Parts: sequence; C-alpha cells; structure tokens
Amino acid sequence: MRRNWMLVCCLGVMACLVRSALAQEQERSDKGSAVVASAGPSTANSNASHDRRSPPALRSTASAERAQRIEGEKRFRTNCGRCHQPPHKFPSRVMATAIRHMRVRAMLTDEDMRLILSYMTQ
Amino acid sequence: MFETRATFENDLVQLPGRSGFHGGPVQKEVEYAQLDFIANSCVTITVGRFLTPFGIFNERLYPVWIRNLQSDPLILPIGIGPSNASTGGMIRGGFKARPQFNINYAVYFSALSTTSPVDSDRFAGVRTGIFIPKARLEMGGSFQHLLEQERSNLFGFHAIWQPTLLPLDIRGEYANSKRGSGYWIEPAYKLSQLPFLQNEMRRTQLVARYQQFFTGDLVSDALPPINTKQFEFGLNYYFIDGLKAASNYGRQFSSAGNLNVWTLGLTYRFVVPMGSAGGPR
Repeated sequence: MRRNWMLVCCLGVMACLVRSALAQEQERSDKGSAVVASAGPSTANSNASHDRRSPPALRSTASAERAQRIEGEKRFRTNCGRCHQPPHKFPSRVMATAIRHMRVRAMLTDEDMRLILSYMTQ
Repeated sequence: MFETRATFENDLVQLPGRSGFHGGPVQKEVEYAQLDFIANSCVTITVGRFLTPFGIFNERLYPVWIRNLQSDPLILPIGIGPSNASTGGMIRGGFKARPQFNINYAVYFSALSTTSPVDSDRFAGVRTGIFIPKARLEMGGSFQHLLEQERSNLFGFHAIWQPTLLPLDIRGEYANSKRGSGYWIEPAYKLSQLPFLQNEMRRTQLVARYQQFFTGDLVSDALPPINTKQFEFGLNYYFIDGLKAASNYGRQFSSAGNLNVWTLGLTYRFVVPMGSAGGPR
C-alpha cells in the first residue's frame, strides 16, 4: 500500500515537472515573439540610422561578429548536435560553466569551445 | 573545476500473486566526483572518481537524457569496471590536428577500491578518437590492461556518424575481452523531413538497435552467461531539450529462452545555478 502511494507521488511529481517545463517553454516563446514584434520596426530604424553613420570599420566589425555567430552555430550543430537538441540559451554564467563541463566531458577543442560559447551567449 | 554526479535507484516490481509494488534497497552509486585541471588547450588533468573512458556508451551516452534507447547495451560492462567508474587519475583532451579533423584522447589509471559505492578495478588504459567535422564522423578505439585477476587485455572500437543531408544518427561499438565480446549498432532517425504535422514530426525520433554478445573464456556476473542477441525498436518524443518521453520494445534471443524487453520513460533535466561562474579559460 505504501509503495503504491510512493508510485502515485512519483507520478504526480513527474506530471508537475512536465507541466512546469511546458509552461516555461510557452512563456519563453511568447516572450520571444513579443520582443521581436515590439522591437522590429525600431530596430530596423536604428539599424538604418546606425548604417548611415557607420564608418567602414564598424561595418567590418559587425560582419566579423556575424561570421563568428554563424561559425559558432555551425560548431554547435557539428559537435553538440551529435547528442543534444538545440537547447535554450541560458544566462552567460550558466553557459560558461556548462561549456567548461562539456569541454572536459566531450573533449571539445579550445577553438570549438570559444565559438560555441560565443554563439550560445549572444 | 569540480564536478560530480551520484544516482539513487530503486525498482518497484509487482510480484505474481501479490498486490502492489515491492522494492528492494535503494542502490547508491557515485558515478563521478572528479577534479579537473585544464592545463592548456590540449590537456586536462583529472583526479578522483571518473567515468571510465572505454568505448562510446559510457564515455558519452550514459546520461538518460542523452541516450536514444533507455536500456544499456549488453556489452556495456566490458572495460568500464564496477559502477561504470574508475578511481585514480586521467589525462584527456581534444585538439585540431589538421584543418580537416580533430583528435581526442584519454589516458587513465584506476586503483582497486572495494568500498561501496566507490568501488573500482585496477587497470590502465587509453582511448583515442578522430573526428571529421565536415563528414560529421567520429571513429576511435580503446585499449585497457587489467592489472589484477587474469591481467588480460581488453579492446574496442566505436563510431558515430551523422550524415549532413539526413536527420539520421548512426552509432556503433564493438568490445572484446576474455569475459566476452560483442557489438551494437543503433540508427536513429528524426521525422523532421516528413511534409505533414511538422511541429510534431520534428520532435519525434525512431530508433532501432541490434546487438549481439558472445561469451568468453571466463565468466562475469555483469555480462550475460550465454550467447545473446537482442533487437530493440523505440520511439522518442522531445517536448523540449531537457524533457523527453521515451518508449521501446525489444526481443532478446538466447538458448535460455527468448524474452520481451519493454521500456517506458520520461526524462527531465533541469539546470539550477548554485553560484557564480567564471568565463572559459
């Protein structure tokens, strides 16, 4: 009888975890779309004004950052994607710890680790 | 860096003729409790208790939220020692050897420990792999010399391949020891290319695994006592990265009788920051 209650409790806890994870996921996707919707036009305007004022050096910095992000995403898919689904982007300090753990665990190269960390924290 | 993982496991079993579920004692296991010193970009020195780096399953796929099928391969106990872990020291790392490929390696020594839950065997070994990012292919081998009992050699090979054109993941491993040998191969296919119900299909994965085990000259408690074949088929659904529903059905064939293997599971992984963290070195 006691074991049955334990089983029911375990199932209840698991159901709560599933529900909270799904709610969190929903909240994140809602928040993300709201931010994109509200920031869209102003970002476009600021980019336009920024571009008008940007010297070529700033533009090349932006394109270098973009190239780095693309390379980071590529490295993530090639290395991390072998075992993980694309994860949420955690706060920088959590990500820095996780990537250091994965560097040891999955024997990532130094370059891969830096590019993936940069991509995951942008 | 200090990292650790421990497991507490209890099976609730419904016995024939008795109502309710009945369980035994809770099994406690320290899987790793290791101190890592990242010496430079190619070398990490580890001391303490660590997962034995033999083959691919124990090294990479052991966490339940990573593996595609929840059941362990039959050959898993080969080369990893009791409790899947070693107590001693290890040097490991990965580096870009050429622009086309990376090399990873681990060299380790484990001391004998009979203290539960940190028991381990006395052995020394090496594991190395080559990873070709463009082809998304990793291949490697492991070698271990047992420094107790029959003082024998163990070896194994492993490979993981993810074709760039298909959401397919093929993993395989072979291991050989005096106590037995065998292999497993596991393709997993994500249904993201199907043109209907795309939101659901991209989260759904079909998995199969075929494995065979052959007995050796010596017996082992952890390995099957007779030649065994097993086929498994599974279906996984990824709600999000950390939450996965897993199910699989398998059939085991051996001269002792055939049997079914069913697994249903739900894995949930969460991250709780416990303090501040620095940047990468």
